[in-house]
Amino acid sequence: MSPLKYVRDALVFAPCYVALDWASYIDPVGPFNITPWNPQAALAIVWMLLGGVQHVPVVLATIIAADTIVRHAPGGYFITLFTSVTLAGGYAALAWILRSLLADLGLRSSRQLTVFVGVVLAGTAIVGAAFVGVLRGANLLADTPLPNAWLRFWIGDAVGILVTAPLLLAAADRERRTGMLALARRRETLVQALVLAATVWLIFFGLGGDPGHHFYALFVPLIWIAARGGMNGAIVATAIVQLGVVAGIHAESMPDLPVPEIQALVAALTLTGLYLGMMVDERERAAESLRQTLRLAAAGDMAGAIAHELNQPLTALSNYGQSALMLLSRGDAAQLPVVIGRMLDESQRASEVVRRLRDFFRAGTTRLEPLQAAELEGAVRSIAQQIIGARPVALEVLSDPELPALFVDRMQIELVLRNLVANAVEALEKDGPPDKRIRVRLHSPDPQHVSVIIADSGPGLKADMLERVFEPFVSGKPTGMGLGLAISRAIAEAHGGALEARPAAHGEFHLVLPCSHSA
Amino acid sequence: MQPQRLTVYIVDDDASVRDSLALMLGLSGYSTALFADAEAFLAAWQPQWSGCVVADLRLPGRTGIELQAELRARASSLPFVIITAHGDVPTARTAFQAAAVDFLEKPFDHAQLRAAIESAFSMEGRRLQRAAEAARLAVLTAREREVLEHAAQGLHAKEIAARLRISPRTVEVHKTRIMQKLGVRNVAELVRFALSSEGGK
Repeated sequence: MSPLKYVRDALVFAPCYVALDWASYIDPVGPFNITPWNPQAALAIVWMLLGGVQHVPVVLATIIAADTIVRHAPGGYFITLFTSVTLAGGYAALAWILRSLLADLGLRSSRQLTVFVGVVLAGTAIVGAAFVGVLRGANLLADTPLPNAWLRFWIGDAVGILVTAPLLLAAADRERRTGMLALARRRETLVQALVLAATVWLIFFGLGGDPGHHFYALFVPLIWIAARGGMNGAIVATAIVQLGVVAGIHAESMPDLPVPEIQALVAALTLTGLYLGMMVDERERAAESLRQTLRLAAAGDMAGAIAHELNQPLTALSNYGQSALMLLSRGDAAQLPVVIGRMLDESQRASEVVRRLRDFFRAGTTRLEPLQAAELEGAVRSIAQQIIGARPVALEVLSDPELPALFVDRMQIELVLRNLVANAVEALEKDGPPDKRIRVRLHSPDPQHVSVIIADSGPGLKADMLERVFEPFVSGKPTGMGLGLAISRAIAEAHGGALEARPAAHGEFHLVLPCSHSA
Repeated sequence: MQPQRLTVYIVDDDASVRDSLALMLGLSGYSTALFADAEAFLAAWQPQWSGCVVADLRLPGRTGIELQAELRARASSLPFVIITAHGDVPTARTAFQAAAVDFLEKPFDHAQLRAAIESAFSMEGRRLQRAAEAARLAVLTAREREVLEHAAQGLHAKEIAARLRISPRTVEVHKTRIMQKLGVRNVAELVRFALSSEGGK
């Protein structure tokens, strides 16, 4: 690091530290820096976390300066030097331990959060003991019980770091910064902030009495915020609560307000918020990675189908080509035109596959268009006939008269229908009854929707499988990824429709699709 | 004895693949028979069919591997070459467990297919030869078969006579009759025949 940058960083850090120390010098023990709120500790630790422990001389000088400016070095300069060395050394050790234990400083998993919380709680307890020990050694804390002084120091540093450090780390982290900015643009966030501020006001002024008695009320908006905004929301919310509490303490007229107890409650609230936010984030990440897997699996299924479709004409092409070569080598030109004609047919067939493929990928983005019920009926019929092929399965397609037109992406809906009919055919084949029938009925349950009911004469689903079949990777078939129905339901829901399996003695699926005049 | 004509039986539901295979294999000098699915093949199947089945894995109805299992159940040992447009590992494994000669992924190489068919045909050739020899041995009497077994061990007429407690002259008569029945010209050929038919038991 260049000396210039070192000095510039120091010039930013030092005034901020002194200002925070001054602002947070509330409810002290005697004239010393033992207060129940020490956000400046977080500033020192985060600064050394991000910049490295080589900043420790600046931190030491700043702590000495702050004690001199804010408290006029209450124990004399010798004591200030001693306590400052204790603090600077302790914070540097905390920063060094966190730097070596945390993979990245974004606090992105429960494990990382636990490491952070554990190191902070244990580290501040030790630093507090050393700090109080130095003062006691100089006979300066004679009229305060040692455990009280230590507890106050510990609560102050622990809360200060737990609330402020995540906020500072988040501000230094690009991903968290953009996440927080996105949160700030949500209208819900404004409502949440107002509710939070109002709750703090109620606790301190609105309800009267000891603010600690009503503190529990803050858990409600905090849980709301963490559940909706995850870790980012929780970090900002706990900072707002802390600021509100400090403002309340300053404005409160009660002389013997139990500030350390309130700060202990803030610590509990902060831990709850951070862990809840982390769990929400982790769940969201798991869901996102599952969605990613689904997309990949769908692409994989598609690629398999494409390979099959293309390999047939390619095989024929290669065979005909080989035959043409053999005909040429034996000088038998009479058959050649026929063989070459078939080669042309096969290449035509291959290009047809490629054209359909292009259509499918175009359909990858949902393109809604009106689809007449009669067209849908025709599509169902041709898809089902194609899948049933030569199998002994009777097909019946019924349509109520005068159905409204649908508003759907035709390509995607055909994919869903293909899937449902293929499932029905497989159900009939696997443990099929002697009487193999598939019956498709189109009707309109209400003016906004059209239902496609696909029923087969197979044994149907067991009650416990009705919902499970839609979960990814749950499959009743030995082959197959168990993704077809999951993808089909996703497509139906993306249309504002639904897909469900109905309890029945036979297999029955209901696909509900929106009509054009409802969209 | 003229060996039976070996045939390539093609079972594939894709008409173009079927037609092009038949043309190519026909031009390569194979006789072929075509079927659109396993059921059509089974309906036409005769126990004396010999050669090789080239079957697609995914067929409407029974798959190529199920067809092979069905033929084995009917005591046919026709060798199988499985072809598929879905070259996936599990199905390849099933094909090998079912002892297919080869598992080819479409589009396959002409030379690969011919190599697979040739190896299937040589299996069939050996099987047919063994069957023919067994048929020829069947015309010998029990005594003649005993004489043949001893001759195969390299024993002379006198030694055989001593063991079977008959006169050496009778042994010579049996030997001559055996050579007539099996159509071999001298004792060396007779011994070779006896050894090969024993090896093929």
